[in-house]
Amino acid sequence: MFVPSVTHPIGDFIRDLVPRVAEYLPASIQSDTLNSVIAFLINAVICIIAVCIVNIGSAPILIYMERKVCAHVQCRLGPMRLGWHGTLQTIADVIKMLFKEVYAPSGADKLMFYLAPLIVLIAPFIVCALIPFDKNLVVADVSMGIPLIIAVNGFGVLGILLGGWSSNNKYSLLGALRSGAQMISYEISFAMILLFVVMISGSTNLMSITMGQEGTIFDWWIFKIPVLGFIAFILFFISSTAEMNRAPFDIAEAEQELTGGYHTEYNGTPFAMFYLAEYIALITNSALATTCFLGGFFPPCIGIAAVDNVLNMVPGVVWFFAKIYFMVWCYMMVRWTFVRPRVDQLMDFEWKFLLPVNLVLLVAGAAFIAIGG
Amino acid sequence: MFPDLPLSFPMGGMDIAFYVVALVILLTAVCCVAVKNILQSAVFLIFSFVTTAILYMLMHAEFIALAQVMVYVGGVVIFVVFTILLTSHLGEDAFSTKMPRIFTAFVLSIAFVFVMVKCVLPTPDLASGIVNSPADYSSLQNFALRLLGNDPNGFIIPHLRYHNRPPHQGRCRRGGF
Repeated sequence: MFVPSVTHPIGDFIRDLVPRVAEYLPASIQSDTLNSVIAFLINAVICIIAVCIVNIGSAPILIYMERKVCAHVQCRLGPMRLGWHGTLQTIADVIKMLFKEVYAPSGADKLMFYLAPLIVLIAPFIVCALIPFDKNLVVADVSMGIPLIIAVNGFGVLGILLGGWSSNNKYSLLGALRSGAQMISYEISFAMILLFVVMISGSTNLMSITMGQEGTIFDWWIFKIPVLGFIAFILFFISSTAEMNRAPFDIAEAEQELTGGYHTEYNGTPFAMFYLAEYIALITNSALATTCFLGGFFPPCIGIAAVDNVLNMVPGVVWFFAKIYFMVWCYMMVRWTFVRPRVDQLMDFEWKFLLPVNLVLLVAGAAFIAIGG
Repeated sequence: MFPDLPLSFPMGGMDIAFYVVALVILLTAVCCVAVKNILQSAVFLIFSFVTTAILYMLMHAEFIALAQVMVYVGGVVIFVVFTILLTSHLGEDAFSTKMPRIFTAFVLSIAFVFVMVKCVLPTPDLASGIVNSPADYSSLQNFALRLLGNDPNGFIIPHLRYHNRPPHQGRCRRGGF
């Protein structure tokens, strides 16, 4: 009997608990197989709920944060009326969005129109399941984490293309094609930066990439490889911004030119799903940057024992989320301070600058490992 | 349950997973050729490839599964882009085929299925899941060492024939990498 197992303390706890509860059942239906299957199912449900809470729960927080950051950059206050400093505003918005009527425009390809938001959500959820939030807090500790992330990122492009095409609207189609071209191009440099991380850390498993950064702040991959790490981090930041279709690379949406791009015709829950995918992608990309460059769940120790002891008392999850929200803040500041390039400038930037720099970086990293490491 | 069929059929979780995945592959493949819109067809093709990747994962061939998703999903996405770019009035005029052609295709596919079943069924110990290989057999590390390693087992692609083992063992490797 093949029963996969969830290997973290919560999984062990459930596996202990289920047989003890099962003793109260009638003896005729008790069996070890049943116990292990039920324990596995409970663990799977716990994992799914955890991923959903992290993803869906962080979306309203990010929307609120985006509004506030945007407002303060533009010397405004942002939402202030509903709740303390407008904290209830996003919840009200979410409820409003969920209760709207869902309809497709006439002439739309109904199947593709409703399938597209679902496809967009695949990649962020899978990536979120791979992220190690603490030493024992990872849903899927797979050995090929980075290739899996690179592989599932293709679904995002597909969802956006389908959504834009099936809306039967020329602005949607233009936005979708632009974003398809953009995401396909920037995927290359995104994957290459991840390969650089794989190369210097010697593993494709996100947990061992994190464990390789144990120690002080200077053991994080961003600082451990003298200059290359920082360059790689900057390149990762740029290409992931483009990969997420966020400003300044948001030519897919381009509100001023395309009236919203690929999700012009969407409303209600499907629109909320596109929106959700965008913000979950923000979380997962920040988490990826944290895992690959900023030391994951390790505290920023500086080598002085007294300080490090205090820092180590804070649990790893807290550090991880602090780093995630720092990265999110960086993405938001970039969004609200830079201007949007034209389509051709964007393509030039990827193919003529980012990709060659990435290739040089890969070779330089290999040389560093061969000579220095 | 089926004593006449040469299937080892323990009905474990692996078997159930195999049959579910195989069913989904078949359904999406049929949808891929049956749907009239070329874009929907491409989407079903993608689903078919993804479920094939899941099948590879059930056989513990993770790298091939991920390569399948990477290459085919990415490739079909580009195909979708060009479908949109190069076809005018996409989705407005659904093409139709005449009855004799459908009949011919139907007969041909039935014949193909018959031949396939006839060829596959005599295989001894036909099983749906691969359970014999050790856990790390197809891991990325072994894969990379085999492809690019510096020892006699490495460089599998260019040096295939020059290993210091007898030539009749050189090429035939059972069970993949």
